[in-house]
Amino acid sequence: MSTINLDFAEELKEYSDDKALECFNCGTCAAICPLVHDNFPRRMIRYVQVGAREKILENSDELWRCLHCGLCTHTCPREADPGEIILGLKRFVVANWRRS
Amino acid sequence: MTEKNTNKTPDNKKIGVYICYCGGNISDHVDVEEVKKRAEKMPNVVVARTNMFMCSDPGQELIINDLKSGKIDRVVVASCAPSLHEATFRDAIKRAGSNPFIYEHANIREQVSWVHQGDPATDKASVLVASAAAKAKLLKPLDPVRVEAKKHTTVIGGGIAGIKTAIDIAQTGINVTLIEKSSVLGGQLNNLDKLAPSGEKASEVLQELLDQVLNHKSITIHTDCKIEAVQGYVGNFSLSISKKSNNKIEKFNIETGAIVMATGAIPYIPFDGEFGFGRHEQVITLQNLIQILKDNKSTGSILEVNGKRIRNIVMIHCVGSRQIPGIHQPKEDGKLNEYCSRTCCAAMLNASNQIRENFPATSIYEMYRDIRTYGRGQEELYTQASANKVVFMRYETDAQPEVSLTSGSDYPFQVKVKDSLTFNEEMDVPADLVVLATGIEPDDVSGLASMMKLPIGTDKFLLEVHPKLRPVEFPITGIFLAGTCQAPMDAGEACNAAGAAAVKASALLRKGFIELDPFVAEVNPDKCQGHGACIEACLKEGALNLVEVENDGKTVKRAQVTAAMCLGCGACAAVCPEKAIDINGWALKQYEDMVDAIVSDGFAV
Repeated sequence: MSTINLDFAEELKEYSDDKALECFNCGTCAAICPLVHDNFPRRMIRYVQVGAREKILENSDELWRCLHCGLCTHTCPREADPGEIILGLKRFVVANWRRS
Repeated sequence: MTEKNTNKTPDNKKIGVYICYCGGNISDHVDVEEVKKRAEKMPNVVVARTNMFMCSDPGQELIINDLKSGKIDRVVVASCAPSLHEATFRDAIKRAGSNPFIYEHANIREQVSWVHQGDPATDKASVLVASAAAKAKLLKPLDPVRVEAKKHTTVIGGGIAGIKTAIDIAQTGINVTLIEKSSVLGGQLNNLDKLAPSGEKASEVLQELLDQVLNHKSITIHTDCKIEAVQGYVGNFSLSISKKSNNKIEKFNIETGAIVMATGAIPYIPFDGEFGFGRHEQVITLQNLIQILKDNKSTGSILEVNGKRIRNIVMIHCVGSRQIPGIHQPKEDGKLNEYCSRTCCAAMLNASNQIRENFPATSIYEMYRDIRTYGRGQEELYTQASANKVVFMRYETDAQPEVSLTSGSDYPFQVKVKDSLTFNEEMDVPADLVVLATGIEPDDVSGLASMMKLPIGTDKFLLEVHPKLRPVEFPITGIFLAGTCQAPMDAGEACNAAGAAAVKASALLRKGFIELDPFVAEVNPDKCQGHGACIEACLKEGALNLVEVENDGKTVKRAQVTAAMCLGCGACAAVCPEKAIDINGWALKQYEDMVDAIVSDGFAV
């Protein structure tokens, strides 16, 4: 269970392009990702989309698995730029780490 | 079985059998020449011919020449389904100067060559030809039932479908009476705002139609009406109407040739407590939201409802639609709305887009089961909503969103959803306003329907004869349907249906008389003893009556058929102890001979 944070999109603008809502949940990013890890990065993008701020902080370890190979960004049919969103989330997590 | 019944009358009939190749469609699987050889040996068959396309002019000429030369007096064509070419061949017979009802059809394409192959196909085709020939020798010339028809149509229901039907019929020069139970025309259109997907104002669309309907000299409009009774048959219906005016009830009759049902539908009203509806002011229906947007004067970047700033709206789709037994709570009568209401997805997205574009500080979460934006321009509404950053969450039927009041939160509500797009994780979405995408329910017209013997589907909508081939007709000739009394439709679809019903009604009444198929019951006055069993069995009130007639100086009771009302169902023929009543064109003896022909081994090798 997580509570949606309706202000999260606004908060994240400081760290990342505001493109998560371009995503239509096709899963191409997770399929192409060489990590083959538990719906990464799709689940993270979805958390951003709905505003599941706490879920991102809870699962932030995952973000550092990313190799930044760029395949997800390259193949995303909606040009939602998942790679950039993951980078942005890293910045967000670093900024909020000590505080939580 | 094949033993000849010596009492059989029409053994002098001369049958011509015409077998079609259908350009290979039939002849690739059926040995047509073999069927012809077998047909030549069948009783009463004097001529058997084949042709590449029987429906072509040379094919039809074969029949016409044989009839004209007197070689034959009964016709059997073995070809495709009778729905395709029965009328073609009847017409050819007419052109030869003969009665078109001396014709019988054997379907050896859909029922044989498309589903069988090899010898069994040839054998089955032979059997079907044999049974058609057995029936044909008992065919007698018939005349269509001619009914004088009033050039007047009554349209019941003054919503967009009824108005459009009335206008379209009146344009063809036929007078129309439009009857509405409420005091205003326009129906549900009065409650709508910007129509999806075009964004046109419902009030403007309605005004355009009202200008036409109110000013048309061939259209009479009665509001505040109730239909007390409907009698008669195609061309000659009579409606008893009671009309409220100035606290008085005025009663009058309408004599009319055809009736169009355009009785419409109503929005689903959620039960008390369904997603918090009825308990909290800020849980509203789609129709409420449309009204709010229509009246809204908010100018800022955030939507305000009843003076409250709406920061986030949760919309829940499929409320009162696509209900599943065992999951959804049925109404008091045990009824569930198992159908999709079709219009709500587009209407919700349309409203969402308006809100997001005019009030960007109001965010929207749409919780759906499936988004069904099925029509032209509707998928664009979904794409537009995505671009407008509407967040979509998907719930499964067995885990409905739960709306509850919050404590200690900034937002009055939280909506718990198990979101399958987030891998079935449960989430609480805070909300200032919850909108339920309530669907469409049929208005209760069971009284009217039973008066007119109109079929109602299990979903309680009125039921057409055939959803694809006869979509605006009832089985009762002369009664049509249009609009949301039939199924959920948007305004455009209701107008489509209205146009179709109008054309059907106009074509029916155009000539001032109607010719009906002669396949109706006929009483043999020599055999009828006036038992009255047929009248009890008759499904159509008024089609069969006992009348007093003079017989050898005595007054006796005899059954009498009103041909225009007879459905040709045969219920009477089945119960008559004297076998004194039969259906023209489908007599019991014909069935017996067909069955005999089918079970005799003679015609299939």
